Amino acid sequence: MATQIPQARLRNFSIIAHIDHGKSTLADRLLELTHAIDPRQMTSQVLDSMDLEREKGITIKARAVRLEYTARDGLVYALNLIDTPGHVDFSYEVSRSLQACEGAILVVDAAQGIEAQTLANVHLALREGLTIVPVLNKIDLPSAQPEVVMDELENALAIPREEVLLVSAKDGTGVPEVLEAIVERIPAPKGDPSEPLRALVFDSHYDPYKGVVVYVRLETGTLHADARIRLMASGAEAELLELGVFRPALVPVPELRAGEVGYVATGLKNVREAQVGDTITTAADPAPSPLPGYQEAKSLVFAGIYPVSGEDYPLLRDAIEKLHLNDASFTFEPESSIALGFGFRCGFLGLLHMEIVQERLEREFSLDLIASAPSVEYEVLLLNNKGVVTVDNPAKLPPVNDIEEIREPWVRLSVVTPSAYIGALMELSTNRRGSFVDLEYLDPTRVLMRFELPLAELIVDYFDQLKTRTAGYASMDYEEIGYRAAKLVRLDVMVSGEPVDALSVIVHRDNAASLGRTLVGRLRELIPRQMFEVPIQAAIGSNVIARETVRAMRKNVLAKCYGGDISRKRKLLEKQKEGKRRMKRVGSVEIPQEAFLAMLRTDES
Amino acid sequence: MAPPSGLYVHFPFCVSICPYCDFVVYAGKAARGPERRIERFVEALEVELRLRADVLDARWGRPGAGAGGSRPALETLYLGGGTPSLLPAASLARLIELVRARYGLDPRAEVTLEANPGPDERGHAGAIRAAGVTRLSIGAQSFHPAELRTLGRRHGPGDIAAAVHDARAAGIASISLDLLYDLPGQTLESWSRTLDAALALRPDHVSMYALTLDDPDAEGLTGPSGDHLVLRSGARRWRDAARRGQDDDRAAAMYELADERLAEAGFSWYEISNWARPGHASRHNLGYWQGRAWEAVGPGAHAFDGERRRWNAGRLDAYIAALVPADGSGAVLPAGGAEPASTGPGEAAMLALRTSAGLPLEALDRPSLAAALAWGIETHLLAPSGPRLRLTRRGRLLSNELFARLV
Repeated sequence: MATQIPQARLRNFSIIAHIDHGKSTLADRLLELTHAIDPRQMTSQVLDSMDLEREKGITIKARAVRLEYTARDGLVYALNLIDTPGHVDFSYEVSRSLQACEGAILVVDAAQGIEAQTLANVHLALREGLTIVPVLNKIDLPSAQPEVVMDELENALAIPREEVLLVSAKDGTGVPEVLEAIVERIPAPKGDPSEPLRALVFDSHYDPYKGVVVYVRLETGTLHADARIRLMASGAEAELLELGVFRPALVPVPELRAGEVGYVATGLKNVREAQVGDTITTAADPAPSPLPGYQEAKSLVFAGIYPVSGEDYPLLRDAIEKLHLNDASFTFEPESSIALGFGFRCGFLGLLHMEIVQERLEREFSLDLIASAPSVEYEVLLLNNKGVVTVDNPAKLPPVNDIEEIREPWVRLSVVTPSAYIGALMELSTNRRGSFVDLEYLDPTRVLMRFELPLAELIVDYFDQLKTRTAGYASMDYEEIGYRAAKLVRLDVMVSGEPVDALSVIVHRDNAASLGRTLVGRLRELIPRQMFEVPIQAAIGSNVIARETVRAMRKNVLAKCYGGDISRKRKLLEKQKEGKRRMKRVGSVEIPQEAFLAMLRTDES
Repeated sequence: MAPPSGLYVHFPFCVSICPYCDFVVYAGKAARGPERRIERFVEALEVELRLRADVLDARWGRPGAGAGGSRPALETLYLGGGTPSLLPAASLARLIELVRARYGLDPRAEVTLEANPGPDERGHAGAIRAAGVTRLSIGAQSFHPAELRTLGRRHGPGDIAAAVHDARAAGIASISLDLLYDLPGQTLESWSRTLDAALALRPDHVSMYALTLDDPDAEGLTGPSGDHLVLRSGARRWRDAARRGQDDDRAAAMYELADERLAEAGFSWYEISNWARPGHASRHNLGYWQGRAWEAVGPGAHAFDGERRRWNAGRLDAYIAALVPADGSGAVLPAGGAEPASTGPGEAAMLALRTSAGLPLEALDRPSLAAALAWGIETHLLAPSGPRLRLTRRGRLLSNELFARLV
C-alpha cells in the first residue's frame, strides 16, 4: 500500500535518452533499488510493457511508476518516474510527459555521445523549466570516453562536468547516486492541496471494465476516491471508479494531493471525453480555469490502410477504433480505392508511428494489412480567390487548372554525426531539395548539422539513407517550420488509360520524369499479360511522361486433356477462375492485388 | 451411368524415363533384363481385366450380341503407357484376345498401340498388326537430334522414319506421330524442319503438344493412392532449367505455323492438340471429349462410367500385390480413388469446345454458360460456324481464358 508522503518529499521526473543509451535499464535499476519490483518478478525493461516496445527497444507510450525511496537523510521520498518515448516521432508525447515533471534525468551513452534527439528533448525540458540531472551511462564499456562526452555536454548544452554522474546501469555503478541526485537536485512540486483541484491528464489507456483510465499530475487541490470529477475541456462528468498510483501495477489509494502523480479510472466509455491535455477538477468545487493544455498531436504523415482481403474491412474498422482508444495520436477516416477497396486514411506523427500503428493492428487484431505510399499534408491555394484546401491524399488533389499554388510542409532537421560524414550528408540533403543551415562541432570528431528540408523528402527514405551513408553513426531529429510553395505536381499512373488511384503521388516537377519511369517499369513487371496489349503510362495531367507496354498474351492453353487429365485440369481451371475473381479491375484490365501490394511494398523500402 | 465404349490399358514400363514425362512409368531393370517385372505386371493386368469385366457383366450383362448378352462391344481399345510396344508379341496378342473375350471388340474397333521409335523399343510391326492393332501412335517428338537428346529420347530421326516404314509395310491402317513444341531453346526454324520431316513421312494423324512441365507433387497427386509417382529430383531440376528456355510467344507462333502447314498438307484440326486426315481422328480420344464412358486398367489409369471418375493408384508393387497376392490369397482390385464427375455443364462444355465440333449455338441460351460464351465471342476466342460455336485459332491458344470462365 502506498503511504502518504508530504509534498516536500515528492519528486516528479522523466528520463530523457536516445534509443539504446540505457534508459530502460536504468529505470529497471531504480525500480530494483527502491523495491518497487520484486527482483524475482523482474523482467527486463519493466516499463516497456508492449511487446513491440521490447522488440524495437523503444518506448512508445508514456508510462509512470512511483518509487518509494529512503534517502541518506533517513526520510522516505516518493519519486514518480514518468517514462517518455525515445523516438523522434513522439516528441509530442515527450513534451506532455515533461509537463508533469519538475526534473529530468538526461542519460547519455558514454561511448556514443550526444545524439540529435537527446538535444531536442533536453531543449524541450529546459523550455518547461525542468532541472536536468545529467548521467553518463555505460561507463563500464571499454569504448567509453566520459571525458569527450562531458566536453560535448559542456559545449552543446552548457552542462558543467562536475554535475555529471558516472553510471553503469548494467552493473549498478553510480545508480544510488542517481537516486540521491533526484532527491537533492530536483525541486519538490509546489501547489496548494487546499485549493480547488486542477489535475493535468498526461496520458490515458482504455480498460474494458474501468473505462478510460487517465494518468494525472495534480497541480493544486486534493482528489478523493469518492469525488465526482469534471473534465474541464470536454465538460464530461463522472463518478470516480478508482484512484491510485503506479507501483508500477495500479494500486488504489484513498486520495491524491497536489504534486502527486497517479491514475483515475473514470468509467467513461468515450476516450474523447477524457483527452490527454485536459484538466480534471471536482464537480463540487471546480477550479476557475483549467491548466494550459497541450498542443494537440499533429499528424505529419498520411497513408491509406487497407485490409489485404476486402472481407476483413469490418474487422479493420473495429480494430482501428479499439486501437484509437489507446493511441489517440493517430487520426482515421474511411476512404476507398479502386485498387485496394475499402480502408482508412490515417494520419500519423511520423513514419515510425505509422509502422507501429500498422504492426499493432496486424498483431493485436490478427489482420493482414497494406498501406499506400505515405504522403504529407499539402496546402493548395486555389485560383480565383477560392481559398486554401488541405490535401493529404494525392488522389484528392484538385484539378491542375484550379490550382494557383501548392505548398508543402518543411522541417528543420538536426543531425549529429561523426565529422567524416559531413560531405555525404550535405549531398544527401541537397539531393532531397534540402538546404544546409549551419554546423557546430560538439567535440573534435562530432558535429551537429542543421538542414531545412521538405517533409515529403524526409519521409521517403531519408532516415534509412542517413543510416546507410554514415554506417549507422548519425542520428537525427526534426521540427516543423511551416509551409513553403513548390513546383509540385501530381503524378498519375495509368493502366490502359485509367488512373490507378492508389499509385498517384505528389512530387516535385524535377523528379517526376524519373519517378514516372521507375513506377511504370516496375508495374510492367507486375501486371500479368492480358488478352490485349496494355499500355502503362505515367502522366502529369494529360501529359504522358513515361510509357511501357505489357504485350498481349498469346498462349494460355492446356495442351493435353485426356482421360486422366480431366478432373485435374478442371481443378487447375477452377483455380484460375478463383484467381480472376480476386483480381482488381482497372478498366478492362485485370490486375492481381498482389501487384499493387508489391508496388506499395517496394515503395516502402 | 453407361457401359464403356472404350477401354484404356496402361502399360507402365519404358526403357528409360524422359524427364518431362508425368505418366506412371518404371524403367531400367524393371523393364529389361533378368529382374524385369513386365511378365508379373501382365499377369496382374489380366487379373484386373477379368475382375473389372465381372463387375461390368453384373451391371450391364455379358458383352456381344448373342445368347443373353446385352452389353455393347467396345468400339475402341487404347494401349498407352509407358511404352506398350515393349510388350512381347505373344503377350500383346493374348491381351487383346482377353479383351475381345471379356469386353467384346466391335469388328470395326479402333485398336491403338503407343510405340516409341527406337530399335529396342518399337516392337515388331508385323506381330503388332497380327495381334489386332489398327492404329499406331508413335512418340516421335522431334526430328532434331539435339532436341531429342535434350528430351532424353533414345531414338534419332532415322528411327522414326524406320518405325513409320515398318508399320506401313505391316499394313497398320492408321499411323499417328506425336510432336512436342516449345522445347527449351527451340527455334521456329528447327520446329519448321521437324514439321517438314514429319509430314514427309505422310502420317495419318499428328498430335502436337506444347511441352508442359507440371509438378504433380505440388498438386498433391503423388500420395500412396495418388495416380502419379513422386517426381525424381533429377527430373525436377531438368524441368526447372527447361522452363527458363520456354517462351509463350514463340510457342504460339509454332502452333500457328504448324496449324497452317498441316492444313496445307490435308489435315483437319479436330482438337486443340490433334490433326488428322479424313477418317483418321482418334475415336478413342474423341470419346473423352464427348463425355462417353470408358473403362481403364493398369496403374494410374482413369475410368469414367458416365457419373464417377475412378482411378487406380500409380504404384506398381501395390498394384501387383493386390491382383496377384504373393501368399496365394484372393485377388482384389488395386487401391485408388473415385470422385463424382463435375455435374455442372461447364466441364462438358469445356471438353466439347476443345474439339472442332464445339457446341451447338443453343448453348448460348443456357444461363450457366451464356455469360462466358458471350464473352468468348466478344473477345474473338469463339466464333459461330454454321449451327455450331467453335474456338477460333487464337481461341485455341487462349482457351484457358475462356474455360476458366466456364468451369
